[in-house]
Amino acid sequence: MILAVAGGKGGVGKTTLAYNVAAALDAVVVDADLGMADLPGGRGPDLHDVLAGEAGPIEALRAGPVDIVPCGRTLAGARAADLRRLEAAVAAIERERGTVVLDCPAGRRADAGVPLAVADACLLVVSPRAFALADAIRTRALARELDAGLVGCAVNRVTEEPPTDAIADALGAPASVVPADPRVGRSVAEERPVVDAAPDSAAAEAVRELARRVPRCQDRNF
Amino acid sequence: MDLAWDLDREGDVSLVRCRVRNDDAVPRRVRIESRLDAPVLPPRRGGVPEEGWDETGVTLRLDPGERRALGFAARAPPADPPVEVAEVAAVDSTAESGGVVPSEGGGRAASATAAALRRLGDHRPPRDVVAGGETELGEADPKGDSSDSDRAAGTGTDAADIDEPAADSDAPLSPSGETTRWFDPVDEQLDAVEERIDKAERLTDADLATATEAVAEADGVEGLSGLDERVAADAARLRDLSERASALATRAEATDAPVEALERLA
Repeated sequence: MILAVAGGKGGVGKTTLAYNVAAALDAVVVDADLGMADLPGGRGPDLHDVLAGEAGPIEALRAGPVDIVPCGRTLAGARAADLRRLEAAVAAIERERGTVVLDCPAGRRADAGVPLAVADACLLVVSPRAFALADAIRTRALARELDAGLVGCAVNRVTEEPPTDAIADALGAPASVVPADPRVGRSVAEERPVVDAAPDSAAAEAVRELARRVPRCQDRNF
Repeated sequence: MDLAWDLDREGDVSLVRCRVRNDDAVPRRVRIESRLDAPVLPPRRGGVPEEGWDETGVTLRLDPGERRALGFAARAPPADPPVEVAEVAAVDSTAESGGVVPSEGGGRAASATAAALRRLGDHRPPRDVVAGGETELGEADPKGDSSDSDRAAGTGTDAADIDEPAADSDAPLSPSGETTRWFDPVDEQLDAVEERIDKAERLTDADLATATEAVAEADGVEGLSGLDERVAADAARLRDLSERASALATRAEATDAPVEALERLA
């Protein structure tokens, strides 16, 4: 099962939710944001090397509370990355580990589209602001064209009651509200997923609810 | 199946144009193959061949009476004819209609990847920002290539580890070590300049084929915008640099610091 976490706009919390949903799914999270990596890096090969054909995808796996395939931080690495290698790389990780969560970049360029094309399903992240929704709707259209079924959307960092129904209608998928919680915000940098750090919090419950919407095993038509 | 073609020669590349028309009353799938003695260089978008093309030709689906114009290049001498209709087959009526038959064996996701790459804008940062060598993202390695040794030495902490003992220690640096580290960025800058000059040289009095190739390598004409001004600026700076460098070299050679004698005294 390959799940893409996308959202169109930057800064809505795609990386944070990708990391936390991957924790709830016991999945590997791949930092597919080739130009602006967010997940913790580390030594050893990263996704840039894998996409440049210089390392195997399994070599790039970095163990942690949630296993991560980090992404390089250089422009040259982003330039050398060949997105045509992404599908085989992600498929290899999926064979090894079962479930893979792809943290997608913002925008509508090829680096945002190819992870959606590779994924079986996608999860859209929106912030409770109207302009973020516009980008999410564009990304939804892209995901539909590229055949990544939408399993749900997360309205992230909510402080007051958002128009969840309107968002769900606009995106055509059930919307889950992830309340603003500093433990969620810190979870990536500290590598402490909220489902472990604060399992009883509302945010952890929201993350688990999102994870439950993800089909564990997708009937893939090859 | 009606096939017409003509062929142009540019340098050592043959450019083939052809028109194909389905004159049957039913849709047909047609395979057109190159007879030139080199791999087909198909039309590309975003670096990805258009759908249906491979190394030997193209497979198309044509409706009754439909015409299609095609073109490709190959690094080979002309042949007569340069293309031939290799196969005409009935179209499976259950297959979804579309201009081109998806390449076989690629699988759903592979063709979806290709479709995404073809349709969406290129994600890669422009070549010039990378060649400049001055664009790091955080702990990037400044050289920008990702060989293992460079990566190990390039992360922020490692670079600090290497630099610190040198900065703290009182002992003089080994001359070769100092020189190498000092010259690396200069060499990088010169490499970047050289790359621009190479590009400009290839475009100077270039014939059409060479120019086309250079433009393609630069990812389109936008990739070359401002090249002439940058190269002119490079020329001026290189002249200044060379004067200053030779003046410094003369002065460096003329010096004779009695370090050993001072050390003995100390």
